[in-house]
Amino acid sequence: MRNLTTYIILGLTLTFLIGPFIIIIFAGASAGEALAFPPDGLSLKWYLKVFTIESFRDSFLLSMFLAIFGTVTALLLGVPAAYALNRYDLPGAETIRTIVAAPIIVPGIIVGLALLRYLVVPLDFTVTMALFMAHTALVLPYAVRVVSSSLNNLRADMEEAAVLLGCTRMQAFTKVVLPNIRGGVLAAFILGFVTSFNQVPVSLFLSGPGVKTLPIDMLAYMEITYDPSVAALSALLAFMSLTIVFVAERLLGFSRYV
Amino acid sequence: MFFNTREGLALALPAAFFALLLFILPVGILLSEAFQSDTGWTLQGYFDFFAKPLNRTVFLRTLKLGVLVAGTAAVIGYAAAFCIVNLSASARGRVFGLVVLPLMISPVARTYAWIVILGRTGIVNDTIVGLGLSDTPIRLLFTETAVFLGLLQLFMPLMIISLVSAMENIPRDVIPAARVLGANWLQVFFKVILPLTKEGLVVGGTLVFTGALTAYITPAILGGSKVLMLETLLYQRVNVSNDFVSASVIAMILIVMSFTANLLLKRIATARK
Amino acid sequence: MSDKFVRLSDLTLSYGKTVAVPNLDLDIVEGELIALLGPSGCGKTTTMRAIAGLLTPASGTIEIDGKDVTRLAANKRGIGLVFQSYALFPHLSAFENVAFGLRLQRMPEAEVRSRTQAGIATVGLTGFETRKPAEMSGGQQQRVALARSLVMDPKVLLLDEPLSNLDARLRLEMRSELQRVQKDTGVTMVFVTHDQSEALAMADRIVLMKDGKIEQLGTPSQLYAEPATAFAAEFMGFENIFRVEGENLVSDAGQLPLGFTAKAPMLAWRPGGVQVGHGPFSGRVLASNFAGAHREYVLDSQIGQIKADAPIETVEVPLGHNIEFDLPQSTARPLAA
Repeated sequence: MRNLTTYIILGLTLTFLIGPFIIIIFAGASAGEALAFPPDGLSLKWYLKVFTIESFRDSFLLSMFLAIFGTVTALLLGVPAAYALNRYDLPGAETIRTIVAAPIIVPGIIVGLALLRYLVVPLDFTVTMALFMAHTALVLPYAVRVVSSSLNNLRADMEEAAVLLGCTRMQAFTKVVLPNIRGGVLAAFILGFVTSFNQVPVSLFLSGPGVKTLPIDMLAYMEITYDPSVAALSALLAFMSLTIVFVAERLLGFSRYV
Repeated sequence: MFFNTREGLALALPAAFFALLLFILPVGILLSEAFQSDTGWTLQGYFDFFAKPLNRTVFLRTLKLGVLVAGTAAVIGYAAAFCIVNLSASARGRVFGLVVLPLMISPVARTYAWIVILGRTGIVNDTIVGLGLSDTPIRLLFTETAVFLGLLQLFMPLMIISLVSAMENIPRDVIPAARVLGANWLQVFFKVILPLTKEGLVVGGTLVFTGALTAYITPAILGGSKVLMLETLLYQRVNVSNDFVSASVIAMILIVMSFTANLLLKRIATARK
Repeated sequence: MSDKFVRLSDLTLSYGKTVAVPNLDLDIVEGELIALLGPSGCGKTTTMRAIAGLLTPASGTIEIDGKDVTRLAANKRGIGLVFQSYALFPHLSAFENVAFGLRLQRMPEAEVRSRTQAGIATVGLTGFETRKPAEMSGGQQQRVALARSLVMDPKVLLLDEPLSNLDARLRLEMRSELQRVQKDTGVTMVFVTHDQSEALAMADRIVLMKDGKIEQLGTPSQLYAEPATAFAAEFMGFENIFRVEGENLVSDAGQLPLGFTAKAPMLAWRPGGVQVGHGPFSGRVLASNFAGAHREYVLDSQIGQIKADAPIETVEVPLGHNIEFDLPQSTARPLAA
């Protein structure tokens, strides 16, 4: 009897959480002209149309660029930081940790606005540059946290053993530490990538003519047209995110690091 | 453990400086604008802000929805988490994956679906009109309910994840022990499960509350300018009115609320160690 | 005194599609201390959980004190259960743990206090009331778990492997403790264990289980001296178990001529029942262990390995050398398959 209750509770909860996503997939597959569910007939025309809209193509590329390079930069900064925080007894370690974790606490929209007013306007940073910094800053906390957790699971005496066997510190790092936190780094990359790609508030103020991240572009499009292409695009993006995460889970057991 | 402090700092500081210069500083300056006026530091900005009824409404509404979403997420979350924890190992993995799945999808996509569901020609209205419960479609979009639903769907996975993790830490036979001692399920929940998962509830609650407070897309799409929340108000103030003082005030309020919630989180998390 | 105080009739218990216990029949006498004994997976814990109400039977009935409780929820059966992990509430003190069940019944505070205090005294933990489980040793935790169940005045007290988490010394202490409590309160006690020496020492009757079925039911001396099957014999410490074929004792490794006629299909000898030093058979010493009161030999013989105990006074025979031995009729235990 308890099993029935379980089915009902979980069934309703999952429907609530995932139902909308399913709806989007089908709404985007409508053969009709307007956004509706159930769709009037099924067709892939809106899915195909998405690829023809030029501004979507441009903003997709921008979002990709930001996600990839922003995350890589965040890792380049974050991995050494995580390593230092974990393996050294640093003065002010707590402060450093807080500073690096701060971007998560501050609402994105504020970050975007602040960067716009104090970096873009006065210092003449390009909007793209500001976006890049903002996205890097956003991913940094995730990079540090995930890699830290990976490092925590790696015992420190491994490096000491390597050094005793003749390695320099750098060699010990590359031969012993890096291979073992590879999973964590990869997980951080994927988490960062997805976070950056889907990010909206930060990019709100930092978008300008010709410089829009994909989510912002979608929002703008939505305000003008009410056709199913946004639904189709949303579905496609969702598939992309999911595929990435799914592959990551298969390859690494991603969930261990999050 | 290495003791070469200089080396360590050299590794950690680039990240710290990056965050400091490109993030904390600009944000800090922005926030300080909330205190500025021609005569120096003052709280006048705040008084002016709260003087306007619209602003007060928005502030209270944001707070209210934050609490409601967190509360509802907690209730549903506990039920779902309890079910998940009692599933077989393979089923648990799959269901958990499904719960986490929405988190990986862009908030734009997740919110957009509600338009399809709640719109004039959406599913809900079609059903209502079809069943004859009303002659014309009801306005469901651009209401607080719509924003509530959108936010709930967005953040519930966080609560569920947090609670499942907390429940997994309940020692194995404690719940059956309480049952055998005579407790009905309500008593088991309040006397055993709740006290032992307190931390998870706080973590989840804080995440959901902060998330709901600082959400932009969902209130923007589902609430529009009829149901303004603090973040959408901020956007309006900047883009429409160029009112940077108000924007800074709002930013400050958001940060204070966010920060307090996070502090609470850390306190609770470290208190039990 | 009901001798069908707990009745399990045609009870079938399963987990999903796997049947763990098929068609079990068992009557438990009021006030007895009975052990469910067997290797892991034999169904003893499953049966215990079913009695407690934590598992719904697929078919069959459970009656306690004349009442059919088969479909009754676990919190209404009036049964006590001491879990192997103790399952103490980590957020409550020892006192509050013991008082938990009493508080659920909404009795007056004064009565809760006095009964709890008495319960704590019964298990010898007076003075530990304010300690949390994390601040207590394993043995103390177990006593709290015991008190928690006892104060409820249960009809039946179930214990899941009560002694396996304790070190040797504590084990002996708790053993007598449990027996004392049982004598003083007269509660019907059912405990589950995989340790035959525990069952032998504590129980009035032993239910030996295998693959969800009762292999043998009897008093400790019955099970010890007269195991009925090869499984029972092996479980109760018989080491040398062989088939009988005509005039010979046979195993997969070889055979030995029997000096007497056997009426059963199998015969078994305890290591102590093997005659060491002289006899018609000979074996090479593979291992020799000092065990205090006797010496344990493992011999390699025509019929395979023989485990034999020799009195400590006899001279030790070194590894690789031969010893004479006999498998006498006087100490042979006949077994049905």
